[in-house]
Amino acid sequence: MTTTDAVATLPPAVPRARRTLRQFLTSNPVVLKELRGRMRGPRAFAVLTVYLLLMSAFVTLLYTVYVVSINNVYNGAGSQVVGKFVFGAVVGIELLLVCFIAPAFTAGAISGERERQTYDLLQTTLLSAHALVLGKLASALSYIFLLLIAAFPLQSLAFLLGGVAPEEVLIASGLLVATAFLFGASGVFFSSLMRRTLGSTVLTYAFALLATLGLPLVLVAILPLANVFFYNASVGPLAEAVLIYGVGVLICINPIATAVATEIILVSNQSGFYFTVPLSNGFALPLVSPWLPFMLFCFILGSLMTLASILAVRRAER
Amino acid sequence: MPAIIETQHLTKRYGSLIAVNDLSLSVEQGAIYGFVGPNGAGKTTSMRMMTTLLQPTSGEAWVAGCSATRDPRGVRRAIGYMPDFFGVYDDMKVWEYLDFFAACYEIPEATRTVLINDLLALVDLSHRRDDMVDTLSRGMKQRLCLARTLAHDPQILILDEPASGLDPRARIEIRELLLELSRMGKTIFFSTHILADVAEICTQVGIVEAGRLVAQGSLEEMQRRLRPHRRLTITLLGRAEEAQAALVGREGVVEVRLAAEPAAAAAPALQLVEVDFAGNDEAVSALLRELVGRGLPVLRFTESVYDLEDVFMQATKGIVS
Repeated sequence: MTTTDAVATLPPAVPRARRTLRQFLTSNPVVLKELRGRMRGPRAFAVLTVYLLLMSAFVTLLYTVYVVSINNVYNGAGSQVVGKFVFGAVVGIELLLVCFIAPAFTAGAISGERERQTYDLLQTTLLSAHALVLGKLASALSYIFLLLIAAFPLQSLAFLLGGVAPEEVLIASGLLVATAFLFGASGVFFSSLMRRTLGSTVLTYAFALLATLGLPLVLVAILPLANVFFYNASVGPLAEAVLIYGVGVLICINPIATAVATEIILVSNQSGFYFTVPLSNGFALPLVSPWLPFMLFCFILGSLMTLASILAVRRAER
Repeated sequence: MPAIIETQHLTKRYGSLIAVNDLSLSVEQGAIYGFVGPNGAGKTTSMRMMTTLLQPTSGEAWVAGCSATRDPRGVRRAIGYMPDFFGVYDDMKVWEYLDFFAACYEIPEATRTVLINDLLALVDLSHRRDDMVDTLSRGMKQRLCLARTLAHDPQILILDEPASGLDPRARIEIRELLLELSRMGKTIFFSTHILADVAEICTQVGIVEAGRLVAQGSLEEMQRRLRPHRRLTITLLGRAEEAQAALVGREGVVEVRLAAEPAAAAAPALQLVEVDFAGNDEAVSALLRELVGRGLPVLRFTESVYDLEDVFMQATKGIVS
């Protein structure tokens, strides 16, 4: 049996842009397979609907509670505060969603194939290790991005109320994308190391918890010391700078802290990129806004984990 | 005939356990090679090393001229592998399953539809094209997996127990399919412990036990080597001792044994005389004439030809790891 030449059956001409996008998505067989399976039937749309309903309900609840607790909503300044609050709530929920749902999508990426006994079938094809890993990551992230994009209208409610600038929306979107990439990549990484999805899921969630709750715990331990440090008169400006940078680094590896800190800096300094902190000797210590190093951190760590997954998949069993 | 699959001193060690011990086999191009052995003999481990899934402890395996350790991609291009245990994806239709694996084998999208239809027709699953893969019966899943291995038109098929767990009809269908694929020019290497399948279709046989290759060659070669004489089985209605006496000492007769068939419900017990005979066809015919000439009640006079069971029992010692 030979593969039939199908020159006579070329696909009909489609607009150039659409063909390129479709080709891009479907050139990876894993992406095509996963998307077909995930979007089959009413399940994907049911999940999306429930998600949006829950989000809307939660935001409405928060809005109502907030409005009841302050009196002058219809005053311009008041509504801006509410707008900011709604925006913050939506982004906050989405951030939590990304932290804890992204791992669920990817923790079974490779280990699931092993458990389902389809891994050997894949390994003996010409599918390269990087195509498998990137395909799994891309299909998981594409569904998460679908959920995030579907919630844009909720975010845009904040525009009606005011108090939210376009930069904030862009920065928030950047944070969400970076966080999704990091936690998605961590899921694929642990999945490539562990034989069983259960082990992989545990490790991935442990990593997610560490990343989101680790910082607050560390800060709770460090801040009392820092207080003592700061009020000690003999501490020099250099030590102060080191301490500030140290706390800054800790903030930049935590998505929630980054979001909150960036917002505070944006509001107080009107700048999205850098700000200054005065030291005891009057020198203005320059600091970059946390979201930039955070996105860099996510990108680097996520890429390293993805690379490690590819290497783990490529290695033949010993 | 050039060897299309060759292993040289292939060894796999797990700590103190030696799963595959110095395996050196070779498969001719176009052959149907039956890889036979008891459970735990190291068949699956050997095949996994040949298909680049497992790193050998020492030794080499070459498939279609590519080294399994140094050029795994070349090996994967040349083979279609079907493991003993394999899963299917839920949430996938039959045609999507083939489409996915065809894409994994870098078959361009434009040619895939026709290819999938051809493959489904070959394994007789066209009527289940749009059904979910996990709703297929075991035999159909096996046929589907076989279709999957053919997506990129490989020269070699390496199948680990392709007929395991199948009902007799399904087993025969797989056998017919393998014969048809061999006629198309493919080399087929499959492992099994169903000797009947091997005897029916294999041109070459390799017997392994406890990780070692104990015998290799065509069926005739192995038979000749392990049992150099022809075996005649004479069924008599009675007077077997007389027949035995007549045969012993006759030219060409090596050994004469008596056996008894278990009594059937209505018929009397039949007596069997097994003769190991070294003589040509004329001598065998003369022997029959001698027995009948003496008035002995001969019911059946047969020569067992492809007695692979005997060969197998003689070659292996019954070591099961």
